[in-house]
Amino acid sequence: MNVPPLIKTAGITKSFPGVLANDHIDFDLFPGEVHTLLGENGAGKTTLMNILYGLYQPDEGHIEVCGQKTRIRSPYDSLKLGIGMVHQHFALIPNLSVLENLVLGFEGGFILNMKDAEKKLKRISEEYGQAIDPHELIQNLSVGERQRTEIIKTLFRGSEALILDEPTSVLTPIEAEELFQTITTLKNAGKGVVLITHKLNEALAISDRISILSLGRKIAELNGDELRSMDEKDATEKILNIMFGGKPIPECSLVEKTISDQVVLKLEDVEVMNSRGVVGLNKVSFEIRGGEIFGIAGVDGNGQKSLCEAIGGQRELVSGRIRFRGEDISRKSVSKRHEMGISYITDDRMNEGCVLDLSLAENAILRGYCQPPYSRFNIIDNTVVDRFANKLIMDFDVKATGPYVRTGTLSGGNIQKFILARGLSTEPGLIICSKPTYGLDARTVNYIQELLLEESKQGTSVLLITSEMDELINCSDRIGVLFNGKIMAILDKCDATPEKIGKLMLGIEE
Amino acid sequence: MSSLMDMALIGAVMASTLRGTTPILLGALGETFVERSGLLNLGLEGMMVAGAFASFLVGFKLDSLMLGFVAAAAVGMILGLLFGFMTITLRVNQIVVGLGITIFAHASCSFLHRVIFGNQFPIMFTAGQTHEVPLLSKIPLIGQPLFNQHWLLYLTFLSVPVLYFIMYKTSLGLRIQAVGETPWAADSSGVNVLKTRYIAILFGGIMGGLAGAFMSLGDLAFFVPNMIMGRGYIAIVVVMLGKWDPLKVFLGALLFGFSMSLTSALQVAGVKVSPDFILMTPYLVVIATLLIFARSTNLPAALCVPYERGQK
Repeated sequence: MNVPPLIKTAGITKSFPGVLANDHIDFDLFPGEVHTLLGENGAGKTTLMNILYGLYQPDEGHIEVCGQKTRIRSPYDSLKLGIGMVHQHFALIPNLSVLENLVLGFEGGFILNMKDAEKKLKRISEEYGQAIDPHELIQNLSVGERQRTEIIKTLFRGSEALILDEPTSVLTPIEAEELFQTITTLKNAGKGVVLITHKLNEALAISDRISILSLGRKIAELNGDELRSMDEKDATEKILNIMFGGKPIPECSLVEKTISDQVVLKLEDVEVMNSRGVVGLNKVSFEIRGGEIFGIAGVDGNGQKSLCEAIGGQRELVSGRIRFRGEDISRKSVSKRHEMGISYITDDRMNEGCVLDLSLAENAILRGYCQPPYSRFNIIDNTVVDRFANKLIMDFDVKATGPYVRTGTLSGGNIQKFILARGLSTEPGLIICSKPTYGLDARTVNYIQELLLEESKQGTSVLLITSEMDELINCSDRIGVLFNGKIMAILDKCDATPEKIGKLMLGIEE
Repeated sequence: MSSLMDMALIGAVMASTLRGTTPILLGALGETFVERSGLLNLGLEGMMVAGAFASFLVGFKLDSLMLGFVAAAAVGMILGLLFGFMTITLRVNQIVVGLGITIFAHASCSFLHRVIFGNQFPIMFTAGQTHEVPLLSKIPLIGQPLFNQHWLLYLTFLSVPVLYFIMYKTSLGLRIQAVGETPWAADSSGVNVLKTRYIAILFGGIMGGLAGAFMSLGDLAFFVPNMIMGRGYIAIVVVMLGKWDPLKVFLGALLFGFSMSLTSALQVAGVKVSPDFILMTPYLVVIATLLIFARSTNLPAALCVPYERGQK
């Protein structure tokens, strides 16, 4: 190509304490192409993009924009150079309107000119087919609409290169479909798009080029058309081979297991209010037996959180009853339930699951810190705690340099592994698992699913709440579908199909 | 006869309500922008004390009221800069720095006053002059109490709509709201978070200094070390009560100005209640209004949280 690349990085290197996040990475993006970055959690994708966006400064190497060598010191510099980023956690101010968010940072004068901004938005909306209500507050928008606002925001600033950081991880399948159409529109309009993902099928479907990162290094660059001309299975195989060095990802084992007759958890007409004071669960009844994995399907926000919290003990029941091994636990405290053998693994791993500012060792004993063997006479026994944390790290293959590292320095996948390790270490009778594999790379996903299956084989009951259809169908023995706080139906593994579940998730009864 | 007395009393209450409102309003308007940007300035009380002392000292020694007010604004700004440097750049805990500034200002002003004036509390006779607004001050009953006041009082009240406009209709206001709510998102939108917070705290400092100057050179004409008597803290409460909206903050400040003037009016009217109890009224009003109106406050999400790039 004769046109200079929109973005070109040469030998970008960046290290953080204990990790080499980027190791001499060369990367480029041309106008009118989709260049995908694939890699495991912690491979360095996000770090590289944060360098391009001016959030980090590289230790070595340089960046060229449109053939010009430049330094990007802040997001402002980056935006000025025509690089726009759509963050995984949207960079929008929730209590401002869409329009105010669009102009923020580039207001073009002291007094806001919202009329002109609205006209400009209208023009962009028409050109790219992206409609949005300019006066709505961000906090009232759905996740899909927020993402659309972010994309419009980059176009609003005239960005030529767009970086999308794991854009589909928060979207429903239909919203994801729309996003791909948008990306195609952008590409046809001559924009360059960097797509960060770890979903292979997405990468295969839309990319012109695919670069694969592993442990901070770029290990391959593949041509999208070539891959698409291959058989889908072969193409996937090829990428996985490169990513994981030939180590095959084990298929989800479907070994026969025995489900005992003993009912471990029983919900009887459980009703709770959610945090907004609206009905969160509406007369929910089901039971889980020993060694059973009970899957919960549903579009986010249909009562999943209320269900977890009702069983875990954080949310008071309005009516109904919850029994654990026959005993009524409806009025028991969180810690009491935990002692009885209920382990709740939250989907909010960064806030609710652990304290990011504490070390792994401290996080390991968050629940049992004042009990032996971790402490005697209220004095924490550090040797025991370290040994315990080390065991969790080793047994569950958590990538960390030791029990003293600050938890916040670990990647999402490793934090999740650690939280799971902690949750399973008490040998619970029931595990409540909310989106255990959300946002994780293929290998970690597999590892965690294996782990849950293994636990259930040993007689542990699992309540698995997930938005991934594959995971739901592969792992669950029975599936309950939540819609508007109600269980629409309970399906057996053998007659659960994605179509059937999908319909029920939208509240359509047979 | 008694109706004449009543009329005079009502007029006096009106006038003293405005004068009592002014320092609280000045401080609160500044603090509104400061808190919106994500900073909680508990040093406001100290900035008001320092403003009161600096304005009196400079005004009295140089015999220039104008220089007195300029000095107050400058001292307020310097303390604002100090607060900003500690909390924004060095990321020290805002509450500690704020209380530290208040204690420091109290102590140093008392000390300097003792060194410079000894046991004397001189009066600056040119201070506290009022200005009649032509025509409007001739309106019967309300003309004199409302339109024969100090120039800074007029300016303060006129600044309310201006600041409202700045908060909601200008790029600066938008940026201040953004950095106090989701600073990393503002940063990623191209807003300089630290600079925006510095602008807010410098403005807050100036307003705090002027609030103090109004006490010593506008409403009164002398300085005594504990003359601010918690008005800075009341201003912080008013900001919360007014939910960080300049117009509502104005109403809140007016309420406290009124309850303060009522305390003197009740004493003048000879109500047979212990004067100590009467002096408590403004503070009781603070607690009562907070209980009624401020139960569901949406604090700026990043209030008291220092910003560091890359730390989500």
